[in-house]
Amino acid sequence: MSWLEGSRARLRLLFGRGAAEARMEKEFDFHLDMETERLVREERLDPREARRRALVAFGGVQQHRERLRAGRGMAWFSALSLDLKLGFRMLAKYPGLAIIGGLAMAFGIWFGAVTFQMFGMLTNSTLPLPDGDRIVKIENWDSKILNEEDRALYDYQLWRTMRSIIDIGAYRNASANLVGADGTALPAAAAEITASAFRIAPERPLLGRVLEDSDERAGAVPVVLLGHDVWTRRFDSDPRIVGRTVRIGNRFATVVGVMPDGYAFPMAHHLWMPLRTNVPDVEPRQGIAITVFGRLAPGMTLGNAQAELTTIGKRLAAEHPTTHAQLEPHVFPYTQMASNNNDMAMMKMLTYVFVVALVLVVCSTVALLVFARAASRETELLVRSALGASRRRIVTQLFAEALVLAGVAAVVGLAAAQLTLTIWGEPYLKVGYGVSELPFWFDFTLSPTTVVYALALAVVGAVVAGVMPARKITGGLGAGLRAGTAGGGVSFGGVWTAVIVIQVALTVAFPSIVMLVRGESTRVAAYDFGFPVQEYLGVTLGVDGALEETLTPDSAAARARLGTSLEALRQRLEAEPGVAGVTFVDRFPGEHHVYRRLEVSLPGNPSSVVATASVDPSYFAVLQAPMIAGRGFTSSDLSPDVRVVIVDQAFADIVMGGRNPIGHRVRMRSSQMPDSIAARQPWYEIVGLVKELGVSAMAMPQRYAGLYMPATPGSQGALNMIVRGRGELLTIAPRVRELAMTVDPTLEVESITPFDQMKTSMLWFNGLWTRIIMGLAAVAVVLSLSGIYAVLSYTVARRTREIGVRVALGSSARRVITSIFKRPLIQVTLGVIAGSVLIAVGSIGVGNTTQFSGTGIGGFAPSDVVLLVAYAILMLGVCALACVVPTVRVLRVQPTEALRVE
Amino acid sequence: MPLRPQTDALRGSLDLLVLKTLSLAPMHGWGISQRVQQISDGVLEVNQGSLYPALQRLEKAGLITSEWGTTDNNRSARYYRMTASGRRALGEELESWRRFAAGLESVLRTS
Repeated sequence: MSWLEGSRARLRLLFGRGAAEARMEKEFDFHLDMETERLVREERLDPREARRRALVAFGGVQQHRERLRAGRGMAWFSALSLDLKLGFRMLAKYPGLAIIGGLAMAFGIWFGAVTFQMFGMLTNSTLPLPDGDRIVKIENWDSKILNEEDRALYDYQLWRTMRSIIDIGAYRNASANLVGADGTALPAAAAEITASAFRIAPERPLLGRVLEDSDERAGAVPVVLLGHDVWTRRFDSDPRIVGRTVRIGNRFATVVGVMPDGYAFPMAHHLWMPLRTNVPDVEPRQGIAITVFGRLAPGMTLGNAQAELTTIGKRLAAEHPTTHAQLEPHVFPYTQMASNNNDMAMMKMLTYVFVVALVLVVCSTVALLVFARAASRETELLVRSALGASRRRIVTQLFAEALVLAGVAAVVGLAAAQLTLTIWGEPYLKVGYGVSELPFWFDFTLSPTTVVYALALAVVGAVVAGVMPARKITGGLGAGLRAGTAGGGVSFGGVWTAVIVIQVALTVAFPSIVMLVRGESTRVAAYDFGFPVQEYLGVTLGVDGALEETLTPDSAAARARLGTSLEALRQRLEAEPGVAGVTFVDRFPGEHHVYRRLEVSLPGNPSSVVATASVDPSYFAVLQAPMIAGRGFTSSDLSPDVRVVIVDQAFADIVMGGRNPIGHRVRMRSSQMPDSIAARQPWYEIVGLVKELGVSAMAMPQRYAGLYMPATPGSQGALNMIVRGRGELLTIAPRVRELAMTVDPTLEVESITPFDQMKTSMLWFNGLWTRIIMGLAAVAVVLSLSGIYAVLSYTVARRTREIGVRVALGSSARRVITSIFKRPLIQVTLGVIAGSVLIAVGSIGVGNTTQFSGTGIGGFAPSDVVLLVAYAILMLGVCALACVVPTVRVLRVQPTEALRVE
Repeated sequence: MPLRPQTDALRGSLDLLVLKTLSLAPMHGWGISQRVQQISDGVLEVNQGSLYPALQRLEKAGLITSEWGTTDNNRSARYYRMTASGRRALGEELESWRRFAAGLESVLRTS
């Protein structure tokens, strides 16, 4: 078993480094002692002389040591550790390079790590549950309307018979008002869910039991399972809660258990009630909307499950062609339901490409700095080369130095990424998705994959920043050695020119993005609602999940009931001393409105796109906006036979061209509508003209014409309530909740926001992006400046002798400077041009999006364009600034000194 | 041009001498060097220390093993011992060395 013994010996030698060293020294000592004793004994030498002769016979002890170490396989290791040590020393010796290069790399790695983690979380999470990667979602995809068909109760019964997916269950969101121990009603994120959920996501309840299959039977006692959060906050962690009856909306249910902290399956739920799926006589594509989940059976793959599901789908399509012909059942990992996959995959790809490009560009500039520095160390490298260091050895040394820099940058970048994710990750996604709580599997702790990704970026960065310049330098060393002088073959080539041009281009382009985002922020901050916002509260109302489904357009009874409830709520609120008025609208001022194309009864019947809102007749009175002309809405306008609308000043200006709109008529038409149908649309008479009241969304730069239609509260989506208060606004908020609960337990108060805070989240979101892009821009500026500076200083140092000769021969200072600065000047100019092209292309793209259409030159106002041009000129100036120090150095060159350099 | 011994050939012969020495009895480094000097008629006198890299090489190849032991005068020393595969390798090496030497001999004789 020679290989076994050999391997043992190798491992011992490699890893027992200290022991191997000790053994070597001990053996050498023993050998020398024995030889000395022999010489004393046999040749009768004096002990001192004997020792000397023994040492001579032994040969160079140090040389043998090295050979033994090399034989142990440690040579590369000690060389690398030496290189790394050198790398750290270099960082300390050149702090400018370390700080600029390190911070720039850290920035790239930070951005890469944050985006990687975020996308990983959105698209590739594994459920933190047993078999988390085998839990799937099943859905019916309507291939005609390209959307999910979630009325799947009929299909669900068949899916449950599948062999490739087990523990199939379903849930639906049933958020409802929960009355807590103190009698107040607050909305709770509730799910009606099948008991199989607790087999998919098993967890021992803190108190009582989880839901069971028997709870789903018709006629079973209504039960509810509480989440930890609900239990602690709403029921003061009452240990005797199990068995008590609680009120949820207008229903009562017995608490059967409490789940431990952190349990939020299926998404972000804190209240669970049984879902009755066993509904008799359910028709295909009828019944409630459900989300279906299950677990892949042991040994089954996603492919197996999809195949079985497709077979079922085909059978259903054959049996029910009218409902199922265009339905395709799909199965995919459960966590992917949080993201729209095609868009997300595209964005992910683009971002990854951007990150790699960012790291490459950043590291190329660092490479430039490393190159300039290494070039100044050329003599040292030449000596090493002359002493026998191979090219590979020198490249490795420079790579190790860059690796040290990248390693430090990776640590800083990762730490910053974790900090960013902890502080901003959650609010960012909440604002971005417009939700109050994120799915339970979103984890903002850097995953091992993210760390590996960041380290890989660091290594790529080190290769670019270390190996590229090293190869270039060592390529010139041979020539330098032959010429017997430093500086023979090293020069900046086309790659560096490209790097500088890209840097400058980015430096020029980034601020334009900042300007775009800042422009939006400024607009939002300066946005005029048209009424004194500090007096108003926006109350978003919702109806109980169970009631929501009965609110189909033809269920007049349910609508009437909702209308009555809202009317009652209004009356109760208006009786409050702190309330000055209450009204209803479908969209709050400042939000995106419903945009409709309409035809105006002017000569030629011109058509325009306007923002429309459905409002309660009291709307304008409550918002303190009297009519400029004509009359306001009255309750008689709510009758379906009366067709009247009110328009705002922007309508009169934009659509009517300054004419008085009163008495004119409008009718809705969509762009696809054929003329024959459009001609049958009813005309509405404009009866009033009011000032502008926020129909253009806050983020939008353009001014929209507004058109108001009268609507009964609760109809036409008019479920947003605006409350005008007297004095302290926030004291009204709890009363709104109490009264809503008293008036109608199914009425949910989803949020209450003072109007003057409506801008806050949007400003925060924009502010965050502004800061990120400004960070990028700052990095680009610093990098391109230091790049230009490094190249110039290097060039000046390299050409000192030539400059000396030129000056000695009578060349004027102007000519010398021109000859030296021609190249950087061309580079910077090229960069500025490339950056301007980038802005132009980008702004055309931006201008084509709906958000910025019709706003000057592609999203930029003329003033922005002037600013950008000014900035480009400023950049040229700043770049010139980077040339100042090298220029001064050129002018100080004394011919005699310069010639003495060699 | 002075005749320089081929490093590989020298290394090969040193390995062979060490293995031959250890085939008789386990021994420590100094002992091996003494024995090699005796049997090689001074070939290794140049540099005793170069024995140790050879010992390490043979150990890594699994042909010998080593452990700490005590000498006759009660000193601690690293003793090297031949393994079974070392014994096999010695047989093969001796055979190939003899063939090489015989071949060289015949070449030298004809020229």
